[in-house]
Amino acid sequence: MSELKVEAKSRSEMLKQLREAHAVTVEQAQGLLRAQKQMHQSICKFIRENPKTVPEIAAAIGKPTHEVLWFIAASKKYGLVVEVGMCGDYPLYQRAKEAQE
Amino acid sequence: MPENSVPENNPASAGEEIRVGVYTCHCGGNISHVVQCEQVAKLLGKLPDVVVTRTDPSFCSDTGQAIIEQDIKELGINRVVIGACAPSLHEQTFRGAVTRAGLNPYLYQHVGIREQDSWVHSSDHEGATEKAVRLMAAGVAKARLLTPLAPIRLSAEKQALVIGGGVAGLRSALDIARQGIRVTLVEKSPFLGGRMGQLESVFPLDEDPRQLLHDLIQELAAHPGITVLTQAEVTAVFGYVGNFNVQVTQHARGINDDIAEALMAACTQETTDEFNYGLTRRKVIYRPYPGCYPATPAVDWEHYNGEPIHVNGESIVLKDELQTYELTAGAVVLATGFNPYEPHQGEYGYSEIPQVITLPQLIRHLALLKDGDELTWNSSPVRDIALIHCVGSRELDGVHEPQADGQVNNYCSRVCCTASLHMAVELRQRFPKLNLYELYQDIRTYGRGHEEIYRHAQSSMVRFLRYHGDERPEVIAAPDGDTHPVLVRVKDYLTYGEEMEVPVDLVALAVGMMPRQVDDLVNMFKVARGADRFLLEAHPKLRPVEMAVRGIVLAGTAQGPMNLQESLSAASAAAAKVAALLGQGWVELPPFVAHVNLTKCNGAGACVKACREDGAITLQTFIEDGHEVQRAVVTPANCTGCGACVGACPNRAIDVQAWTLAQYEAMVDAIAMEYPAFVEIYR
Amino acid sequence: MENLQVDALVVGGGIAGMQAALDLADQGFKVVLVEREPSIGGKMITLSKVFPTLDCCSCITTPKMSSVAHHPNIQLLTYCELQSVTEAAEGFRVGVMQKPRYVDASKCTGCRNCEYECPITVPSPFDRGLGAYRAIRVPFSTAVPQAAVLDMENCILCGKCEKICAANAVDFTQQPETFDIHAATLIMASGFELTPLNAKKEYGGGALRNVIDPLMMERFLAPTGPYGRVLRPGDGKEPTSIAYVQCAGSRDTTLGVEYCSRVCCMYAIKQAMLISGALPLAEITIYYMDIRTFGKGYEQFYQNAQAMGVEFVRGKVASIREDAEQNPVVKVELTEESRTVERTHDLVVLSLGMLPATGSNEILGLPLGTDKFIAVPAPNASPCATAQPGVFVAGTAMGPMDIVDSIVTASAAAAAASAYIREHQKEAVYA
Repeated sequence: MSELKVEAKSRSEMLKQLREAHAVTVEQAQGLLRAQKQMHQSICKFIRENPKTVPEIAAAIGKPTHEVLWFIAASKKYGLVVEVGMCGDYPLYQRAKEAQE
Repeated sequence: MPENSVPENNPASAGEEIRVGVYTCHCGGNISHVVQCEQVAKLLGKLPDVVVTRTDPSFCSDTGQAIIEQDIKELGINRVVIGACAPSLHEQTFRGAVTRAGLNPYLYQHVGIREQDSWVHSSDHEGATEKAVRLMAAGVAKARLLTPLAPIRLSAEKQALVIGGGVAGLRSALDIARQGIRVTLVEKSPFLGGRMGQLESVFPLDEDPRQLLHDLIQELAAHPGITVLTQAEVTAVFGYVGNFNVQVTQHARGINDDIAEALMAACTQETTDEFNYGLTRRKVIYRPYPGCYPATPAVDWEHYNGEPIHVNGESIVLKDELQTYELTAGAVVLATGFNPYEPHQGEYGYSEIPQVITLPQLIRHLALLKDGDELTWNSSPVRDIALIHCVGSRELDGVHEPQADGQVNNYCSRVCCTASLHMAVELRQRFPKLNLYELYQDIRTYGRGHEEIYRHAQSSMVRFLRYHGDERPEVIAAPDGDTHPVLVRVKDYLTYGEEMEVPVDLVALAVGMMPRQVDDLVNMFKVARGADRFLLEAHPKLRPVEMAVRGIVLAGTAQGPMNLQESLSAASAAAAKVAALLGQGWVELPPFVAHVNLTKCNGAGACVKACREDGAITLQTFIEDGHEVQRAVVTPANCTGCGACVGACPNRAIDVQAWTLAQYEAMVDAIAMEYPAFVEIYR
Repeated sequence: MENLQVDALVVGGGIAGMQAALDLADQGFKVVLVEREPSIGGKMITLSKVFPTLDCCSCITTPKMSSVAHHPNIQLLTYCELQSVTEAAEGFRVGVMQKPRYVDASKCTGCRNCEYECPITVPSPFDRGLGAYRAIRVPFSTAVPQAAVLDMENCILCGKCEKICAANAVDFTQQPETFDIHAATLIMASGFELTPLNAKKEYGGGALRNVIDPLMMERFLAPTGPYGRVLRPGDGKEPTSIAYVQCAGSRDTTLGVEYCSRVCCMYAIKQAMLISGALPLAEITIYYMDIRTFGKGYEQFYQNAQAMGVEFVRGKVASIREDAEQNPVVKVELTEESRTVERTHDLVVLSLGMLPATGSNEILGLPLGTDKFIAVPAPNASPCATAQPGVFVAGTAMGPMDIVDSIVTASAAAAAASAYIREHQKEAVYA
């Protein structure tokens, strides 16, 4: 057990101290989290009602197609987005909540 | 589904509550892309005694196995049925998991729904799903009747037999002996070293092969744990892993060291010298090369005509005497090696045009030349030479003439490309003015340091001509008066398909590898060969140097074409397997052997007559109610579990353990059963 | 600091290292297996199916991983870096540093609740960056050990994972741990790295999104892949025309890689066959110089691919550019026809070769060959012995090779190492 854990009076204080110790990476990760939240919200808004392809989503939210695909793949893995058929050569994706209704 | 549709068999052990866990594996999509695993699981859950059914992407993974272990511990599962790949792949894996969870490993039934179902019915998803249900229902029916068993543990001889005294056999023997296991090495010919001794230089480092062999043999000969028998062959085999009883028959050396030199000098009878692939003749008392092992010359009993040889005023008639040894070996290494492919008559002009030889012959021919000699063939100078790749390799059905067994060699022989280029580099160095042509399909210099040899050849004024596999070059005798005796015709794709005619003085065919003739060993050890006729490993990745018959391992080119380095690796790998197998001093055999119910046996002896193994089942005398009676008794170590006795017994007194008649009947009933619920879902 | 005394230390938990460890352990020797990543399995566990049998890869790999984890004679040290190796009496002293997982692996049940709870998504190297996982995660579904690992670089220390963990396994304060291991012999199974995608600038790898490496395609073909199907990573289109550029990174003096990587022909053919199964309408072209299908059953495999309609084009690819629809356009010199053409595909796979893995080889300071793989001074006498007595090499650490050859050399290295232990160590720990 490290000194930190012994010294810290409470769990929240320990986390606070750790955040200070890792200030640089924590700040970067917080930036990443904000960007991901924004991306997630704008994608989900667009594919809530109707399933869309990656190029359609990219055009709608103004992001590159490869970034959108990566995000869709990630969301799919954690059950937030599902694939619902094809449109031409492109799979269609929809938010899981609505697609499963 | 009504429960009464399932035939009720007597539970295996009276009083025990049967709790079956059924696991349907997706096999990473191999099964689940065809079979609807969730439906299978759902339906099987309705069978009697089934407590839990689950699916998983791969039950063989650590996480998958953990699920099964947890069910055994927490749900009290005492019969496990797994529908997955073929049992040959992972039956042992799951037995391990079941054992770890504290259950007897033989209370588990494996059902192959990949090889027997999803792979063969990939276009019929509904049919495959129904088949999976039926196969697994049969597995459940059988599992309910399984009883705990113990493997048969036998003491294993810490002694191995290596068959073949080429470099792979030598390496294996030495590596096994270094683990403290005694080794007998049996070599058919009078000398050790095999094909390696016939080479002059080995790539990629241009070492002297006979020096390398010498070093290896010195180490082997000095090892106290190794017995070498030359001019010896395995003539009979009994037994099984841990205890193979092997009969070895050996020819006499027939010659004493004190008069060996004199006898060899006085001998006048000659025969073809196979060491030089027939290019020369040798005496019937001979050494293949100076420094061979054993150093004592051998008598070629096959060709010796029995005439007396006159030495120091004495007439000596040499006599062969066969000697037979019996030895016990816990494991056997097959290192029987290869033969160079022998082209059939007329193939690229072979054995019709005298200027067409094989690459191994060219290697020997160069070895016979003295340094500084010009390259000649049949006393004529060689100005132009062509080396043709893929002779007896990469053959195509319908294009190439099949061999006596109706097959073509459709495999690549691995070594010929590098060997040909290595030869080209040597020829260029020794004969700077020689014109060299390499006719090839693809250059396969894949090994470490091999590509450099290719580059060296490319920068050594070697002319490359690339042909297509279905348009092989033609070799014809040139018309009288031509400048060269032979013409090689080839459609060359390095010059965009131009039809070329190359006049040459000599053609060397880079012949591939064929397995040696080992029919007798294959039959004696009951081992398998692949479609390429080489000995077949149990699994190319899980057990790449072991054969399906336990205790038999492979070393070197008996398994397939390999270069020297690869043969050595395979040979050492074989030694590792033998050491692991015999290190403990005992081996375990599966308990799937015949078992006699003595209360039903009336001693008629039909089983003894039906049995095909020596000493597996015998009649023994028992005292019953004061009378002597005969009853059948099984010796498990000798029983292969074939079931011949089961069929012969008029009283149903014999069963093969874990494959009993009652279990078979339950399986048949389950497979043939009506499935109202199943039909409802799919119609 | 923990002290360990063993017969053999195996560096690398890929297929070669696992096999070498198992062969030694099966003979009764005590083995420590040191792996850099949080899970063993190496490159092989990321593959879809393996040639020429088309067995699913996890069916071959995961049971070996499981055997390693359960073997009583093997101690597994994952997420570890070699720090130092020195010669010592009757063997070697090896310093190993275990990086903090920030999760107590002995407590973690692998339930992945922490992973679902974690708000940060990051690219997963298991999926070659094309798939994702969370800042705290089980590295992949069949990982061994089945334990989560936290990536502090991408963590905001929100504490959600720690809170949800029923096993109380998350520990943000974990520190590196060092091991001092005394081993009679070492086996280097440090493996290979794929040639970087951008190694040959003319091919556009790294810049063009639809020019990918072969391990990416393995992930697309695997059932657990990032898309669950074959899509091109540039825009999610299902490709109907796929090309392979052979020898992209091998047999190329301009890259300083003169050697053949041995596996590229076979994996390209295998992937072509698997794609044909997944996308029956797709056209697949393989641009090659020489097809090298030299292993057992490999030539038949090549012939089968030809019969299935995979197009083999003998040609030298000069460059790859992209058109307006993100399609890679391949400029190829058709060497059998004396002309250069441009052909447009949806997706191009560069058949990249093998480079030696860096890190542990340098720590040992073993002599390397001209190809930078660990040198084997006497390949035709002791094919697994390095220049350092007592150190043996297995698998791709000694040069490119396929899985079968890796497994065979691993068993051979185990044989050589066990003989060395018996001959140089008066009392083996196995006793």
